[in-house]
Amino acid sequence: MAVKHTKKLFVKALNKKFGKDFDLASQKVEYKRLGPEQNARKREFMEYAKKLEGKRGMTGYNPYVHAGGIPLGQRQLVPYKLSSTEYVVEGDDLHFVNNPAMQQFWDDIRRTIVVGLDMAHEVLQKRLGKEVTPETINNYLEILNHAMPGAAVVQEHMVETHPGLVDDCNVRVFSGDDALADEIDDQYKIDINKMFPAEQAEVLKAAIGKTTWQAIHVPTIVVRTCDGGTTSRWSAMQLCMTFIDAYNMCAGEAAVADLAYAAKHAAVLQMSDMLPARRARGPNNPGGISFGFMADMVQTSRVKPQDPAYVSLNVVAAGSMFYDQIWLGSYMSGGVGFTQYATAAYTNDVLDDFCYYGVDYANDKYGGFAKAPAAIDVAKDCATEVTLYGIEQYEAFPTLLEDHFGGSQRAAVLAAASGITSAIATGHSQIGLAAWYLSMLLHKEAWGRLGFFGYDLQDQCGPTNVFSYQSDEGNPLELRGANYPNYAMNVGHQGEYAGITSAAHAGRMDAFAVNPLIKVCFANPGLVFDWTNIRDCFGKGGAREFRAAGERSLVMPAV
Amino acid sequence: MAYTPQFYPGSTSVGINRRKHMSGNVEKLRDIPEADVVAIMGHRAPGADYSSTHPPLKEMGEPDCPIRQAVEPTPGAAAGDRVRYSQWTDSMYFAPSIPYFRSYWGAINCKGCDPGTLSGRQIIEARERDIEKYTKTQYDSEMTDVALCSMRGCTVHGHSLRLEENGMQFDMLARTELGNDGNVLGVKDQVGIPLDKKVNLGKPMSEAEAKKRTTIFRFDGVPMSGTVGARKPDEAVEMTHHMWELRTKWGYRPE
Repeated sequence: MAVKHTKKLFVKALNKKFGKDFDLASQKVEYKRLGPEQNARKREFMEYAKKLEGKRGMTGYNPYVHAGGIPLGQRQLVPYKLSSTEYVVEGDDLHFVNNPAMQQFWDDIRRTIVVGLDMAHEVLQKRLGKEVTPETINNYLEILNHAMPGAAVVQEHMVETHPGLVDDCNVRVFSGDDALADEIDDQYKIDINKMFPAEQAEVLKAAIGKTTWQAIHVPTIVVRTCDGGTTSRWSAMQLCMTFIDAYNMCAGEAAVADLAYAAKHAAVLQMSDMLPARRARGPNNPGGISFGFMADMVQTSRVKPQDPAYVSLNVVAAGSMFYDQIWLGSYMSGGVGFTQYATAAYTNDVLDDFCYYGVDYANDKYGGFAKAPAAIDVAKDCATEVTLYGIEQYEAFPTLLEDHFGGSQRAAVLAAASGITSAIATGHSQIGLAAWYLSMLLHKEAWGRLGFFGYDLQDQCGPTNVFSYQSDEGNPLELRGANYPNYAMNVGHQGEYAGITSAAHAGRMDAFAVNPLIKVCFANPGLVFDWTNIRDCFGKGGAREFRAAGERSLVMPAV
Repeated sequence: MAYTPQFYPGSTSVGINRRKHMSGNVEKLRDIPEADVVAIMGHRAPGADYSSTHPPLKEMGEPDCPIRQAVEPTPGAAAGDRVRYSQWTDSMYFAPSIPYFRSYWGAINCKGCDPGTLSGRQIIEARERDIEKYTKTQYDSEMTDVALCSMRGCTVHGHSLRLEENGMQFDMLARTELGNDGNVLGVKDQVGIPLDKKVNLGKPMSEAEAKKRTTIFRFDGVPMSGTVGARKPDEAVEMTHHMWELRTKWGYRPE
């Protein structure tokens, strides 16, 4: 049985924001209208803008042009506590432009490609009669970790990339075959037995079987200059050159084409699907990343599997930052407002409190994680209780209510807590999804308001697609993603759906949600972002403690 | 047998008030002069002509259309008025109306209007002379408390914020203020442009009056389902469960 959690986790965050002795329950307050000067970050922005004035020769940042001369800060500008961490940062620090950890999160995804080794080995062995042994594989990996960052092999008179600019690039292999894995040099492998708890490791190895895969992370600076579509091309070029070098091949022989085909197409796992033309980006771009893949990328499940709510909350944080702030907020719409939509789901311990309340409720009633029947009656029970609990907290703590920018955040938080609770209780993501939609309807009925217009579209008609057979909308939640028909435009949902997906599997103590290769690939200790603790890493970014990869300062004059 | 709409379930004051708003059977509490409502809306100067099509629709002629023949136009549509809006922000601290119920009121009772519902604001768009009439009805009726509700075209932030110490809803642009005589004064129009003269909107409701007239369920007023540990579902919860379950199950049907 899970440990019960202290209720009203958000009170600590509110005390940090408003002061220890502040009356959090008062419905009235004196608005001091102190303007932007009350906030350290806004003061920094204004001072820096002043410095830039002479340099730029034109006007720039000036909060006094806002709303006819009435600047931000007519209410108190409060900071944000990253949930379950000690980090307290300003809201501005959570915009992805100001937060290098958030940027690295996305860079780590788009610079990643998983490429099978077995097909290439078959070409070498069966077509060319080459011997492939653990020694040749280790030699190949040494060459590959020289070449993948952009260094030369085989050819003379080549230009190369500065190792200091591309030091985040690395390739490690993994396999479900312990005998083979044992033969690989430790520095070149992701050791499933070391990185995962024993039960998860066994499941992952069984799922991967006697196949071997390369977790390839090309240099961050490459995908920041190009895009995610570059990753498979960049990696395939270096893979082919490395095979030629490691196995003493002829650079022009036809078998190279087979290796290239395997590296670019036949043995490749992209992080995301392609998008339709109207939202076109290359492969390995955000819109095509499924909720199941997002759940598998996040690694909290291997470091804290005993706490499925915590696992799911980290996936929510990952997904809301990524889908809301970066994909919908920037790629799809462009703007600054989306940060406010996303932060509610991973700051101030609000969603944490509602989730733990729900998980405790469900555990008491159904006897533990994934013990409840996968039936909509369970969704009805859990979603109703969790939504009503959350509503009551917002009402009892006016400071909590105004902590969110508006109704969309309340809706996302209440529905996510309902969905996560129900998914953990049943071990079924579709039941979690059903609970999400009931929460939305109850919320709207209680307060006569929900989110912005989009919530009318997505959430009031949403129950009909939970179990739909329609081909374009009937996927299990694991296989739905940012481009699912009804989800493609609405902020405040996709990260939470990823969290619900994760919750179902975390409740069942599964080793992975949908793809074991993704789960193992993101266990690579060579990644720059900390995929085990999403919120802590975002906090580090906000507190200016995180060093991202792909920086150019080595080759630029000092500021 | 003639059909009598039921509008909304429940025997609590919230259920009853919701039925009143939806049916349009709302009590008139004040009479704000038409010119003052027009000034706060900010679309035209009080007394100025409407900006309508030129030449007038009657002279222009319109395409042959069975819908035009079947439906009698509103005065604003007949005159070819431009489409304008009024948008309300209603506090969560017992404002009488709340976004969905303003929208239901509009959709059910106001011809030729286009309501839009969000969490912190609610807009109705219509032909100009029609929206002026609809806005005055809302301002004058029990749907509105002048301290807890205000018209905000932009910068609407405030519905979920704590109230000012004097009981007014927070407004970054301070479009209304509480006068020394206890009356609420409109000092800026919907989008925050100062008015030539302050508009007297009358006295705010007392807290007890607002609680009596509100359409919001709250744990410290009429809760929708009791409180934690003491659940007592209102009929609104049963209705919502029913709708959700049917929508979910019918979405599953493959035909």
